[in-house]
Amino acid sequence: MFELILCGRGGQGIVFLTRQIGQLVTDMGLHVLSSETHGMAVRGGSINSHLRIGPFYSSLVRYGHADFILSLDSTETANNIHYLKPDGIVVENSSLPEELGTRRIDATSIAKGLGRIQLENVVLLGFATTMNGFPVSSEAMMVHLKKDPREYVRKMNILALEAGIKTAS
Amino acid sequence: MGNEAIGRGIIQAGCSVAAAYPGTPSSEVMESLVRWKRELLHPIYLEWSINEKVAFETAYGASLSGARSAAAMKMVGLNVASDALMSAAYLGVRGGLVVVVADDPGPHSSQTEQDTRFFAWFAKVPVLDPGTPAEAMQMAIKAFDLSEKYQVPVILRPCLRVCHARQDVSLSTPREVVDVGPFKKNWTRWAAIPRYRLVLHQELNEKLAKMRKEESEACPVLVEGNHDNVLALITSGSVSSHVRDIVSSDELLNRVDVYKVDLPFPADTEALQEIVDRYEKTLIIEETYPVLELQVTDRRKVLGRLSGHVPQHGELTPELVENLIHESLGQKPMAGRAPSVKPRRPSLCAGCPHRSAFYLIKNVFDKAIYTGDIGCYTLGINMGAVDTCLCMGASIGMAGGFSKAPLSRGESPVVATIGDSTFYHAGVPALINAVHTRSPFVLVIMDNNTTAMTGGQPTPADNFLADGSPGTAVDMERLVKGCGVDFLEVVDPYDFEALKDSLLKAKSYTIDNNLGVSVVIARRPCVQSPSVKLSSERFQVGHKCDLCMTCIRDLQCPAIIFLKDEKRVQIDVDLCAGCGFCFQMCPSQSIEPRGV
Repeated sequence: MFELILCGRGGQGIVFLTRQIGQLVTDMGLHVLSSETHGMAVRGGSINSHLRIGPFYSSLVRYGHADFILSLDSTETANNIHYLKPDGIVVENSSLPEELGTRRIDATSIAKGLGRIQLENVVLLGFATTMNGFPVSSEAMMVHLKKDPREYVRKMNILALEAGIKTAS
Repeated sequence: MGNEAIGRGIIQAGCSVAAAYPGTPSSEVMESLVRWKRELLHPIYLEWSINEKVAFETAYGASLSGARSAAAMKMVGLNVASDALMSAAYLGVRGGLVVVVADDPGPHSSQTEQDTRFFAWFAKVPVLDPGTPAEAMQMAIKAFDLSEKYQVPVILRPCLRVCHARQDVSLSTPREVVDVGPFKKNWTRWAAIPRYRLVLHQELNEKLAKMRKEESEACPVLVEGNHDNVLALITSGSVSSHVRDIVSSDELLNRVDVYKVDLPFPADTEALQEIVDRYEKTLIIEETYPVLELQVTDRRKVLGRLSGHVPQHGELTPELVENLIHESLGQKPMAGRAPSVKPRRPSLCAGCPHRSAFYLIKNVFDKAIYTGDIGCYTLGINMGAVDTCLCMGASIGMAGGFSKAPLSRGESPVVATIGDSTFYHAGVPALINAVHTRSPFVLVIMDNNTTAMTGGQPTPADNFLADGSPGTAVDMERLVKGCGVDFLEVVDPYDFEALKDSLLKAKSYTIDNNLGVSVVIARRPCVQSPSVKLSSERFQVGHKCDLCMTCIRDLQCPAIIFLKDEKRVQIDVDLCAGCGFCFQMCPSQSIEPRGV
């Protein structure tokens, strides 16, 4: 069983990340449930997604049960930190140094370096896939993103994922 | 996604006509039908209707003609369609008719937390309540069978947590399109006058009584526990999924028996009463109104909304549910509380044409009363350019009332703002009314050529239908003129001078000369629209900036940032959409194009 919270601002690609992880885990033959935010909040508001792998009925993570929080915006981490279990890990897009229980990567700067700030979500994902306990491996996610039929999107996502993975090593 | 699973269920059930009006959290039902139609080369007819009432009537007409048909909408959309639904319940259907109505406990993206199961009870229409996307697909199919068997419309009521949940779901091959045979004229049934309506009402009551007794979905089913515990918990729909996960994962809660009801109206009331009588206590957890609870006759041992044990408003999140169960067992609440969070408030996108329109409306009309409407442009509240938001189309109707009330007239002019899709949906009759009554207000139609808030669905101004097949574009100018409006100007909201000029003319026509309603169409496609190519031009703040803060305070573009420490204004080139409106509006003319 694995539970994950993804958070950020509307427009940062939270829903995209949730779908990629969800699809990959489904392809691996596991049961997955996830929950997305749509509508008014998407216009730049606070958004989060829940993803649960295992024999669940509900798509929502309970407070104190998330193994990981993937955060694209450090102020949104604070709005979601209560979901994290005591030994859970925060993976955050931030230029600050890492601390106990919080892994950080400056995904925004890396994405800008790749020429598209919109890639910050995939950079963060690449970084997260390198961590112990994360449900999908870097290799599996790479294979999955290579399946995207849109050539430009595929190319850019692969570059971003690689950049995230490389930062961890 | 739950909505995609429902779309798939509709296709698998052999449905051949479906109509919808977009609204969070229901919009993806029609979008997924479009997808399945294309992928499976399915013959189903699909339309985004002008509003929910027409969507229901389209589906109802198709049902009388013998086809299985569906209508999809959000719960407040059912209010719009209710006139047709209430009557259709009496008349009955021929081909199976399923109305998908998505509820939004919370509410996350809606005006109310109304419970469609309660509405179904009021309309005397059966309602199925799925707990997961997989269940929603199966129930969509079941709903068609029930509808045809009993000849009544059937509502499928998924909550947001089902609509927008994603789950692995196994698909099966769609059955052939169902046809129960051609329409046979019978005015005593299909055009019944009041005398026959009495007979039909009796028939409907008999159908519901039969369903209550004979359909297994009406009966509470034990899903966790052993029939023998101290606490019974009766639940339905999406919140039942939280209940099941919590009870099965917590040893402290193994003294709870969970019963789930899939057809909360008409539920098997005798079976419900039998459970309540057998246990020391029964906790009823359902969203958002006490529908199952009210169907229990003797509620002395029931803990629920009516007894004050379950909150009367708000979404029942897993934490709340967990605490409710512990409290009912006399245990201490376990789940922690969320810290006081500061959620970021939503705002119009950088480059949104609504922003520039609102800016100039405020600029020209200043302290006017601004009646707003439902859509992205409700966010005009951030800019002080929306004072009211009631329901679809109400900006125009309410503006009429504001401008007629004798005490508020004179000092404050009234300006109504409405989006294009909302104008077609419910604004047109209100505009005719305003013309007829010589209501002195200015109407700005914010025409971004799409239904933006719900993800960019087409409007009647497009020349194609939901699935891309050809349609006839309904011209907005001709429509406005056809409503009897004499003053009409169409202008690009990116064009500062032109829009300001049009608004001033409208002000002079309506307010200064009291010649009745004037209409300005501010037209520019949504920046999120895939066909829009954004400008590559970028801007920067030059040295002349005197920190008047007009851009920060009044324009509120997310790309323009005030750096507190450095005491200067900056434009974020990554967020900027290159619309150039700030360049035009800056009072000190210090925003300038940036060399690439």
